[in-house]
Amino acid sequence: MRGKTIQTDYLSRVEGEAGLFARILADRVEAQFRVFEAPRFFESFLKDRSHQDAIDFTARICGICPVAYQMTAVHAIEKIFSVDVEQPIKQLRRLFYAGEWIESHALHVYLLHGPDFYGAASAWEKESYLPYAKMGLHFKKLGNRLMAIIGGRPVHPVSVKAGGFFKLPGKRELIAALGELEDAYEKSIKAISWAAGLPFQPVPLDTEYVALRHPREYPMNEGRVVSNLGLDVSMDSFLEGIRQNQVGHSTALHWKIQRDGKGENYLAGPLARVNLNFDQLPEEIKDAVKSAGVPIPIDNIEMGIIARCIEIAYAFSEAVRIIKNYEEPAMAAAGAQVRPGTATWITEAPRGILIHRYTLDDAGNVKDCLIVPPTSQNTGHIERTLSNYLKVNSGKPAEALKKECERIIRGYDPCISCSVHVVKI
Amino acid sequence: MAKPRIGIFKFTSCDGCQLSIFNLEEEFLQIAGLTEIAYFQEGQDAPDGNGFQAWAAHFDLAVVEGSISTERQSKELLDIRENSSRLITIGACATAGGVQALRNWADVSEFKASEYPAPDAVEALAESTPISAHVHVDYELWGCPINSAEFSEVLASFLLGKTPGVPGYSLCMECKRKGIPCVLVAGQAPCLGPVTRAGCGVLCPSLNRACYGCFGPKDGANIMALMRIFQGFGYTENQCRMMLDKMNTYKFREMEEKG
Repeated sequence: MRGKTIQTDYLSRVEGEAGLFARILADRVEAQFRVFEAPRFFESFLKDRSHQDAIDFTARICGICPVAYQMTAVHAIEKIFSVDVEQPIKQLRRLFYAGEWIESHALHVYLLHGPDFYGAASAWEKESYLPYAKMGLHFKKLGNRLMAIIGGRPVHPVSVKAGGFFKLPGKRELIAALGELEDAYEKSIKAISWAAGLPFQPVPLDTEYVALRHPREYPMNEGRVVSNLGLDVSMDSFLEGIRQNQVGHSTALHWKIQRDGKGENYLAGPLARVNLNFDQLPEEIKDAVKSAGVPIPIDNIEMGIIARCIEIAYAFSEAVRIIKNYEEPAMAAAGAQVRPGTATWITEAPRGILIHRYTLDDAGNVKDCLIVPPTSQNTGHIERTLSNYLKVNSGKPAEALKKECERIIRGYDPCISCSVHVVKI
Repeated sequence: MAKPRIGIFKFTSCDGCQLSIFNLEEEFLQIAGLTEIAYFQEGQDAPDGNGFQAWAAHFDLAVVEGSISTERQSKELLDIRENSSRLITIGACATAGGVQALRNWADVSEFKASEYPAPDAVEALAESTPISAHVHVDYELWGCPINSAEFSEVLASFLLGKTPGVPGYSLCMECKRKGIPCVLVAGQAPCLGPVTRAGCGVLCPSLNRACYGCFGPKDGANIMALMRIFQGFGYTENQCRMMLDKMNTYKFREMEEKG
């Protein structure tokens, strides 16, 4: 067999700057997911700044998932301050996060990844795809609206503080959104069978995958870290059990679970969440998934787009439920007593578990900080999947493999701006 | 008439300002119909399938997000400028160097060493700089992130050949018009509103929170006068420094030097 090289210098329709380089040789396959996004050194310049800056600055790591950064930071800070946050505030935070899941997933499903299944170069290139582009933009608009009602604006919201919010959203504004949210929920349920009908190639998910799990709800802000291989640990223990590797071709560090002295790749994200928490979804969504013929657990990495559509429906249903049951919290924020300490927190960002750890001093300023975004946990997994795929499909022409590999990478919804912000333990 | 060719480019950033273009939602599809989006790597495949050759093509308008923080980027930017009739920057990174310009006042080799096990393999210039430090910029749009409506106004203005109607005055003007109680005067909060450009829609004061300057210094801001007021409230010089050193640190410091 002759050697083949597959190369994409700059991937399109993903967030951030990365490329793909693979070689199929007679005796082996090498695949590299090359992140060349410039590093920004958040953990370094956060040192000695206030804990509020941790909330406002880390949002700037990612324009698509700022709420994930704010939620993870604020929970870690509240853990250090031992703040008791009341239930209505927790529900508002869930609504805030649901808005972001909708906005981020709709962007990825309809505007970035969807065109792959229609042979289109963009969401607006082909007339026949425009209805899907419009639906995606409509969903995204509603997600953005929720984020703006609660946070002031969808990109880098400004309302989050330790204990709760600077100010509570108007109940009237929330209720005014209800009709459109209910309507979008109906559409999003139908979209699950649309996604299930897309033409997938077999790309087996045969590794460990990891998500939060909570006893009473589909995970967002709270829970233990679990996996399909029986992992069930606290947030702190999970962070202790993973290690980073720096790889020459990437400004993103690769994180692996340590087992018997060996680092194993794992997957975080919507596929992992749906597979590990399917029982927590409302019956109507479970039924829609079953009648669309989607096997649970989903065992094909390409089907991440279905998992995202399931979660869009879930986020709409949560938004409707929370607004219908909304009781205005007694206070916008619980009183937070500044105190020193260290805490780790993990929340479910749209793209998977996002880990923050902070050490604060007596004044509540950051002494040390660690941020592990979902994409830096998935980069090793992406390379493993590409290399396996190329081994099985080595006979195909290089040009076809290039497109297929790009599509596989896109299926992970990598957030490359996020992935370059990592610090050694 | 041929549709104007637009290129949307990204350097060091969070992608939030490009996202604000998508956040125009239905209006975005109208823009896609009225123009030829000739390059937009986040949204569409480049004709060469690789993304770089396209930079040598001609653009009627280049829209640039992100600051310059690597050697590679400074070269690519020159190519883009050379091939574009007009060039505008969107957001705090492209217009003011971004929050990553905080490295400019520190030692970047220490930053690398504290974040990466093999710091020498990481390419990063000692400074993160705005686009205007490298090439001529026809228009700068401020904000972290930009306001989508302002972007729409700037884009329409360029297509029509008129001057964009985006204010350069302070946030206070917007705040007073909205009738929001002053968090600085009444609340004694360290609000950067008097020296910050309007445009966000008065988000923070509306939440009873002090403005933290994400739209950058307004034209002719008297920063030291405001800092004296903050010091009168009891904030230390170092605390004042940190308030200005955020996503527009580069431009706030430049404005201070101008006095």
